[in-house]
Amino acid sequence: MAARRAGAGCWQRALSLGLGRRCRLPRGPDSYRSSSSSPALGKTVDNSQVTQEEIVLPRRKTWDKLAVLQTLASTVNRDPTAAHYMFQDDPFLMPRNAANSRLYSLSKESGKNAAKYIIKNFPQYFDKTFAEPNIPCLMPEALTPQTEGMSEEALRERIHLRMVKESVDMFDQLLQAGTPVSLETTNSLLDLLCFYGDGEPTPEKEPEEKEDLEEPGVNASEQKAPKRQFQRGSRSSGPRWRENNHAERIFKIIPERNAHSYCTMIRGMVKVKLFLTAGGFSSAFEISHSQRLFIFVFLQHGAYSKAYDMYIDLLNERHKADVHAFNALIRAVPYLKERFVERWELTKDLLTHMAQQKVQPTLLTFNSVLKSLRRCGGVGRTMSLFVLKEMEALDIEPSLASYEHLLSVHYKGVDAPSSDIISEVLNEVENRNFTAQDPDDANFFTTAMQVCCDLKDIKLAYQLNKALEKGDNWKFLDVDRSNGYWSKFFSLLCMMEQIEVVLKWYKEMSSSLFYPTPKNILDLLQALDAANQLEMIPSVWEDVKQLGFSRRQDLLEEFLSLMSRDQHPSEIQLAFAKCAEEIKAVHEPAGPGQVPLEWTGSALGHVVVLFSRAGRTQDAWNMMEHFQKINRIPTDKVMDEFLNCAKQTNCPDEAIKMVKLAASLGLPLSQRLKSRTEEEFELSETQKKALESIKWDGDSSDSDSDSSDSDRE
Amino acid sequence: MWGLAARLLAAARPHGTARPHGTARSKQKLFSTSSVLSKDKDKSTASKDSPPEGAAKKQEDGAETPKQQLLDIIGNMKVEVSYRKKLQQLKASENKKQAMNKVEGLDSEGSVPQGITEDTQRDKPLNPELVKAASAVASSLPHNKKQIESELLAQLRRHEETTDKQKKGGTINIRNVISEMTVKRQSPAQWGVRISGRISLQDEDGRRIRPERSSARSMDSRRSLKVGRRLNIFTKASTEPEHALKTVSSPTIWDLEFAKEVAAVTAQPPRNGFEEMIQWTKEGILWEFPIDNEVGMEDDAEFYEHIFLEKHLEGFPKEGPIRHFMELVICGLSKNPYLSVKQKVEHIEWFQKYFEEKKELLQEI
Repeated sequence: MAARRAGAGCWQRALSLGLGRRCRLPRGPDSYRSSSSSPALGKTVDNSQVTQEEIVLPRRKTWDKLAVLQTLASTVNRDPTAAHYMFQDDPFLMPRNAANSRLYSLSKESGKNAAKYIIKNFPQYFDKTFAEPNIPCLMPEALTPQTEGMSEEALRERIHLRMVKESVDMFDQLLQAGTPVSLETTNSLLDLLCFYGDGEPTPEKEPEEKEDLEEPGVNASEQKAPKRQFQRGSRSSGPRWRENNHAERIFKIIPERNAHSYCTMIRGMVKVKLFLTAGGFSSAFEISHSQRLFIFVFLQHGAYSKAYDMYIDLLNERHKADVHAFNALIRAVPYLKERFVERWELTKDLLTHMAQQKVQPTLLTFNSVLKSLRRCGGVGRTMSLFVLKEMEALDIEPSLASYEHLLSVHYKGVDAPSSDIISEVLNEVENRNFTAQDPDDANFFTTAMQVCCDLKDIKLAYQLNKALEKGDNWKFLDVDRSNGYWSKFFSLLCMMEQIEVVLKWYKEMSSSLFYPTPKNILDLLQALDAANQLEMIPSVWEDVKQLGFSRRQDLLEEFLSLMSRDQHPSEIQLAFAKCAEEIKAVHEPAGPGQVPLEWTGSALGHVVVLFSRAGRTQDAWNMMEHFQKINRIPTDKVMDEFLNCAKQTNCPDEAIKMVKLAASLGLPLSQRLKSRTEEEFELSETQKKALESIKWDGDSSDSDSDSSDSDRE
Repeated sequence: MWGLAARLLAAARPHGTARPHGTARSKQKLFSTSSVLSKDKDKSTASKDSPPEGAAKKQEDGAETPKQQLLDIIGNMKVEVSYRKKLQQLKASENKKQAMNKVEGLDSEGSVPQGITEDTQRDKPLNPELVKAASAVASSLPHNKKQIESELLAQLRRHEETTDKQKKGGTINIRNVISEMTVKRQSPAQWGVRISGRISLQDEDGRRIRPERSSARSMDSRRSLKVGRRLNIFTKASTEPEHALKTVSSPTIWDLEFAKEVAAVTAQPPRNGFEEMIQWTKEGILWEFPIDNEVGMEDDAEFYEHIFLEKHLEGFPKEGPIRHFMELVICGLSKNPYLSVKQKVEHIEWFQKYFEEKKELLQEI
């Protein structure tokens, strides 16, 4: 509703602009100014000047079809209390924590994919054109080749439709029949084969899901699971270059090859669907990182050196490589050479070759150079600056990816980094509006924020944030990256900022921008502690429950220890006791299938203290009894607090029970507790007797084990 | 009784550790400064014959220069020391067990043998291999061979002394040292909790790290995006003929897929309804905005010519049933989107002709 109201104002503005533009007033800047102010005003000014001025009305104005919508969209701000727009279809499915948000967005996406899958596989049911005019993107694509028979034409169509296997078969048949295939067609076939590395193109994630459906029983057997997952991992990692695959075979048998044939082969061999750095996806697979690394290097190394050999062949044939092939080769350099200096030398050689072959480098060339410099240690730190200088000299503007590589070269694994480079980078970035030019562009903001965190420099972080808010820069952060970015930023805030500022950000960001991680909550708690604002804890606890962290042992411990550390005014103590009760509930069996958390000694102690301070003697005593169940010993502080509580609420019975408990545990404190009880409480005769009878042997009811113990001693 | 003992021990521990705390820390500092010293000296010797960068490179290459040997030996020595330390610690813990209640007295006990061993240590000759390496270093330098060698050896000896000293003093506290280390690592996180503790730690940190950091700084301060030279491999050239070539060839599958990949970088889910509508417009699902009456302007007729047809009625009588009829006709025509303006005018003209023809007939009535 607010959006709509805000939008109305904007309609007016857009309209006035439109009208203003329609009247082209040739004389003087004054008239222009008037026309842009408001239509009514414009008219009066026109009347006053009137006469000789000729008003040329354009016959029609061509509108950008997005202009109105873009103007409207720019009037809508983020609602800090709402979840992301994609979840707003259904209030019931509004995610409250990171796990849910991920689940829901994935479900939504997979629903779309399922619909697409149906349309694609059963196009016969979608033959009616419902929409008038037709909406092509909602209709099934024509994926069956129209050309029948065997001809180069048919082959070309199959290549265009990316039917890898059919294309290869057709090519072989054509060759056997003795029909010559033109170089152009052969090259596009090679393109296709090299791009998909022999496998069929698998758009979306259908094969994975199908696999799951096919073997539901296998999931149970643990032995097979990792293997299957690895297979999936390798498959989703994209194509790999196999020995003597079709691309290599066809490359060998074709009679004539030009530079393009060589270059596409090189690109195919280097093309790596990063199975290593796609950390987000690979974390789902249960093989260890080192295993993956090993397999990866093992599989890929051959192809990399092959690519280089291919390049040498190309040179021998006196062809020139194109810029893409060079880019691919430069990216392969770290896998070709072991030592940093050698890597850099090879990169430099390749660049010199480019210059000799009069191949003009592009932004991607330099991004590739910077990317391989990431794996060149100290050499990279010096050379990356030279590379940036070279870009400047060639008038190539660095993209976000260039800066990201630069930051990573200068800050990853460096002991005592200085903030010079990043502040210079941020100064550059701040003043520019970026469009995506390199797939690596997406990493810039998270990497830069990580560097800010490492440097603990909040000013730089603010500067980075400003750059992110500029223009469409936010689009470089996808959901996962933006979670990482904001959570790092928040941790930095907690560490460096005043508590008021932190809390303001927290309100702004939490659950509309990102979902705090457990670490963020710990940071927030520490910030609260440092600022002496522990009374905020109950509200943070509410958030924690919503975020689904109420079963995180480390968080619970932190909560309890902070709450129970100092004495607070009574209403705060009551709120704390409420939190403690909820924490207690987590440790108790709730519903079927929910395994309660194990109590730890310290957690129990904290809960007792919190109950005692709130004057809830009975609850506190119930907790005290847990100590015996889990074989822990309460600390002195806990017992003292309990006794104080019993005194305040005038419950001598509880006090006696506690002394009994202490005695049965054989604690040295029990004597002192006993004397305190005698002094501080007004005991009735029976109570006095009970207290006396505790003694060291314990009383008659549960004495057996105790007395035997003491006998042994 | 067992519980009692455990509690005693637990109670004793904090007292026991509280005191050696400070000594351990100071020892640690001593040790680290000495290592820095040795490092510095190493650098200074290195800088005499080659720039530090060169030296670093050589280290990377793994060339076995005498300097390298020296470094290796020092490295090994450190390992050895720590091993010995561990043994000592074991022994100390045994001691502790024997005199469990005298934990606090142990420090003074430990100081007695310390003095003795220190004396013996001083006379102990240095590792011959080490001496050889030192003299090798000295001989590799152009002048002052004797002096350098003796300086090197003196430094080594000092180094060994300090390590020994620490070994004696630090044995009991090795656990404290470790716990100190963990505390330090946590300190940035537990910022608020331990501000005071952290400040003092930082103080020591600063003193320890500053020499290293300043050297790193001096290296880094040279690094800037603004200054420095370029690679000088490429020359800026106008490449118009090449561009012309590129545009001719049709995009390959590589180009298409790359474009897709780059587009995917900034393809985020819409943040509000308007953005969603933008996305739909791009996909061709939604009517294009603004929805106006300019659609169909291409066939050279404005919308008002379609709608305001009164001007074509001039040839008709101003009033009467014919006028009324014609007004209805143009009303119908103005709402008809399927006829062109020309057809509409023709339609009206037909009526005009018709009524013209029947004029006489009508007048009779």
